[in-house]
Amino acid sequence: MLENTDPAALAFVGKAERRVDAVEKVTGDAVYTSDMNMPGMLYAQVKKSPHARARILRIDTSKAEALSGVRAVIVGSELNYKLGLYVVDKDILAKTEVRHYGEAVAGVAADTIEIAKEAVELIEVEYEVLPAVLNHMDALKPDAPLVHPDLGHYDYVPVFSPQPNTNIPNLSKCRKGDVEKGFAESEWIVEREYTNPSVQHVPMETHVAIVEWKNGDAVTIWTSAQSPFTVRNLFCYTFKLPLNNVRVIVPHVGGGFGGKAGIHLEPLAACLSRKAGGRPVKLQATREEEFSLLPCRSALTYRIKTGVRSDGKILAQELTLYWDAGAYADYAVNVTRASSYSGAGPYDIPNVKLDAYTIYTNKPYGTAYRGFGHVEFFWGLERHLELVANVIGMESLEFRKLNLLKPGSLTITGERIAEHSGDPTKCLEAAAKAINYGRLTKEEAEREKRTGRKIGKGIATLHKAPAMPSFTATAAVVKMNSDGSVIVNIALTEIGQGSATAIQQIAAESLRFPLSKVKVTIEKDTDKEPYDWQTVASKGIILSGNATVLACEDLLRQAYADAAQVLRAQPVDLDHDADKIFVRHRPDESVSFAQLSVGYAFPDGNAIGGPLIGVGRYVAQGLSNLDKETGQGLPALDWTFGAHGVIVEVDLETGEYKIIKIASVFDVGKVINPDIVRGQAIGGMIQGLGTAICEGYIYDEKGHLLNPSFTDNKIPTAKDLPEEIESIAVETAQIDGPFGARGVGEHPMISVAPALGNAIRQATGAELLHMPIRFEDVWRAMRKRVPIDNWITKTPTGSCRSDPATRLHSPDSAAAP
Amino acid sequence: MLQKFRYAKPRDKSELHALLAEYGKSAKLLAGGTDLLVNIRSGSQKPAIVIDVKKVTGFSGISWSAKEGLIIRPAVTINEVLGDAAVREKFPLLMECAHDLASYQIRNRATVIGNIVNASPCSDMAPGLLCLEARIVISSKRGERELPLVEFFTGVKKTVLREDEFVERIVVPAAAAGARGSYKKLKRINGHDLGIVGVALMKKDGLLRLGISSSAPTPVLVDGLRETDPEEKVAAAARKATSPISDVRCSQEYREFMIETFVKRLCREVK
Amino acid sequence: MRIKLSVNGSAYERDVEEHKTLLRFLREDLGFTGTKEGCGAGECGACTVFMNGKTVNSCMVLAVEADGAEVETIEGEAEAGKLSAIQAAFDRHHAIQCGFCTGGMVMSVRELLRSNPKPSVDEIKQGIEGNFCRCTGYQQIIEAVLDVSGQLGPGNKGELKHA
Repeated sequence: MLENTDPAALAFVGKAERRVDAVEKVTGDAVYTSDMNMPGMLYAQVKKSPHARARILRIDTSKAEALSGVRAVIVGSELNYKLGLYVVDKDILAKTEVRHYGEAVAGVAADTIEIAKEAVELIEVEYEVLPAVLNHMDALKPDAPLVHPDLGHYDYVPVFSPQPNTNIPNLSKCRKGDVEKGFAESEWIVEREYTNPSVQHVPMETHVAIVEWKNGDAVTIWTSAQSPFTVRNLFCYTFKLPLNNVRVIVPHVGGGFGGKAGIHLEPLAACLSRKAGGRPVKLQATREEEFSLLPCRSALTYRIKTGVRSDGKILAQELTLYWDAGAYADYAVNVTRASSYSGAGPYDIPNVKLDAYTIYTNKPYGTAYRGFGHVEFFWGLERHLELVANVIGMESLEFRKLNLLKPGSLTITGERIAEHSGDPTKCLEAAAKAINYGRLTKEEAEREKRTGRKIGKGIATLHKAPAMPSFTATAAVVKMNSDGSVIVNIALTEIGQGSATAIQQIAAESLRFPLSKVKVTIEKDTDKEPYDWQTVASKGIILSGNATVLACEDLLRQAYADAAQVLRAQPVDLDHDADKIFVRHRPDESVSFAQLSVGYAFPDGNAIGGPLIGVGRYVAQGLSNLDKETGQGLPALDWTFGAHGVIVEVDLETGEYKIIKIASVFDVGKVINPDIVRGQAIGGMIQGLGTAICEGYIYDEKGHLLNPSFTDNKIPTAKDLPEEIESIAVETAQIDGPFGARGVGEHPMISVAPALGNAIRQATGAELLHMPIRFEDVWRAMRKRVPIDNWITKTPTGSCRSDPATRLHSPDSAAAP
Repeated sequence: MLQKFRYAKPRDKSELHALLAEYGKSAKLLAGGTDLLVNIRSGSQKPAIVIDVKKVTGFSGISWSAKEGLIIRPAVTINEVLGDAAVREKFPLLMECAHDLASYQIRNRATVIGNIVNASPCSDMAPGLLCLEARIVISSKRGERELPLVEFFTGVKKTVLREDEFVERIVVPAAAAGARGSYKKLKRINGHDLGIVGVALMKKDGLLRLGISSSAPTPVLVDGLRETDPEEKVAAAARKATSPISDVRCSQEYREFMIETFVKRLCREVK
Repeated sequence: MRIKLSVNGSAYERDVEEHKTLLRFLREDLGFTGTKEGCGAGECGACTVFMNGKTVNSCMVLAVEADGAEVETIEGEAEAGKLSAIQAAFDRHHAIQCGFCTGGMVMSVRELLRSNPKPSVDEIKQGIEGNFCRCTGYQQIIEAVLDVSGQLGPGNKGELKHA
């Protein structure tokens, strides 16, 4: 909507307005859940399993309960509730069996955190250690232990397909055309396998919740979370409470990245509060618990077989995605589903066979993570397309351009791409241009000579649509204050991405009010904000932005109706400015918004109208369910396309490398705030770089997590920035987005890794198949030594690489038919 | 959070001796705290009392004299070393070792002596100090003893220190002043990281020494080489003296390769 | 143990347990919650404060060590409600997203500029190396520092480009 507004006529949209929350954050005023204290508050600590899989034979909490200052101790056997967003497979505390290292087996609430910690240490647990299934490819074997023997009895959301008596809580498929025919017509068939490990979101504020379970089962939850309504709704589903019993409040959030999209620590804190007589209980994860008690991102083995015609047109893609989701299904089944309709990339492919498996293993489990599967599978896809181009002897950029989606193309689920869907070709060309792809500049050539290191360039494309239900909805409420200013209530949560500021700009633009008259609530409260599904999926700006526009229009309609009475005119005769509504042909005849704001009083005392409150609601339009066998349907609210270009400099002797430049391009439809878009672009790019160069979980052969802290789970610092960064926006208007905008929150992370891998390949010939790309891996690949298990050097099967016996060809092989 | 312990802040050496004699093994000395507090938090160390040495008379400051050499006292932080004119002029190798140690905030607290006493095989300061033939002065109620740094380390995080002893000074001999040298540290990222391998190379008066970290249970000194020795000989000596392992950070193979590469490159770069 | 210290120029006196970190003392005992805990192990810098004029990770300092010390936190950065030049630059340049690292980051920036009033981009990166930010990717923070130190020009301003 409003996508055709002349940019010159826009007062706020498109401008680099200041963030509404900057001042309170930069002064230390902003309050986060971790800063909060309640009267009588208790502190919780968790007893965690040291084993990947074990039966709990005995838990003795008597010494803990006897410790002075301990107010509640809980174990799994007391709690008969099941949790799960999509497959209801999780207990609040492990009952008879622990399924991953770090899983919670008991909880304590005490007067101080020291007492709680001491109490946890006094809890005695006797385990019978069981053989764990750690490698997801092993989990598929017929004799593999079952992580969830009761899978066949769990409740689940019907769009998913759990496979009872296996370790597969979901299988999603896509079938388009006829792959066998496509391969038969192909000149070249290239197949390979790519892998990546689990990775943690690393929000700077770890998960934390304060829960108070009061008399009458009235529960208040303060939590660092992305989705207050999801917390409330899942909580009530689990505890069988009416929704009105539970109030969820979200103050400032210190980062989420998907890890806080669902429900996590709240149920345990709630149970402790209830047992402690209703006193509020604060449960905050330590950084080490963040890495193991809280979930991460699923690992992936991605197999792809590509059939290409002699002119370079891709005729067939056969893809199998094996998602290592860890011990619980959580969001991972939906990541699998999203990968099934997106996993072939922004390409026009006539014949596709895609099978995506969610696989249980005895490891910390995968939840939503920025990119929702796309960072993981684009690694394999874009590395593979590079290989294919190389094999068929076509220039990499031209090969991609030939095959990218264009207006008229059908996606793999049968959606027709239009002009206004976005322009992946333009994004790719801009990225390639920004790095002078295909040649070295004079400076680069001189640098090579001077340093003796080799410079390489790589490109990769990306796309993503929000992975959300076809009926996802939201609402906005705009209320006028008695001075004519407004408050906008939306439940889209500000987690750093700048949503509150963007909504402020959209509201100000829609109302034609200055920004100073528009307040957007930061603290979210399910009692006050209208429903929003979740703050995920990069759908916020479209759905909440549209709802805000509609709410502003509704407010103005009411105001005009009241003003028409006051001014004895028809609404069509009226116009307004920042302060008042006036008669268009007699502008001196006016009434101020302030006068109308909470009801208008005539000079004689009569009153009309009332508080001006605009409501807008918006639901995703025209989306449809995916066929369970073929995956055909319309899942995408919108597609954001993009591309990265990377210039890398490699030491050919050691494999050490340095990134000279990253250029990132996204078709955002309409830039609402350039500084915020740039902040997302760079922030996401660096997070993507982290996942490309150094991040990943490392397990030993017993499933113990060996790097549960920053000592050995590194994330990028300021010194890890490339020498040069460029962020570029393309604006192909999204017709159904506010002012033409579409989301870009997740996209900057996607495809950074393969662009880097492609650049390294170009510089050195080294073929990297596993992410992250450590210096050592480049060194090995350059020398074509067999890639070692990246993670553990002593374990026979490795943590997340596929069983060698089931691996496809080595890097050098590309089979022609 | 940290588990409970008592805190003492002795004002002079005799108070410190008395505390150590009383508490022995259940006491830990606190200088910068950047290793100790991490260890207390993780539970790998559980002292009953933490003794802060920063305010003990005579425990502050770096001093240099042509007679006594460079003296580093217990409270001296890494950033103090980096800011010291004598170190900058006379011991550039120490500047290099100190420069990439952790982050700025850590360097404001971490002490040189603390880094050495922690005796991590990954120590950044040890390679440089070993090359410069630093000496350790150990003090207790029973008196003082001195030994070369190379004899100080006995194993992973193990030293010769007895229960009631502490390091009172590190002395870099005046004869080492003016040594040319450099330190190469392999990290996983450009940002602050432990050393995956660390190699210091020093040349002076015709002699060449290497100090190598993250390559053996203790930091390693390679002695008995000459400035004129060919690279391959120096590299062979380094190979012989080190025994890197594979761990979560790196494989043995790559460590061996990088030690050799760093040694050869340093031979060329240190003029 | 009883300690006396000044925080942001005001005197405080409290009894504190000997094992309590300065970070927890500031947040829990004195209510200065602007300094955050990100890891508790001296890696992430979210807890950076000034102690006697030097930036430290307060999660690695005992409160009892701050007896007699002058401590400065993010709450002392603005004066009488007016943002400091660094804070204003952070606002201008969108150097803040979730804000959790910001308190510690501003402290490190202040220390950097004190010792090096016109740092190069590499020196800025070195100066904030010990402060993790997961949201911004650091670039806009660097631009804020260049601005505050009078080094931002058309060449390095940093803008979203259009294709």
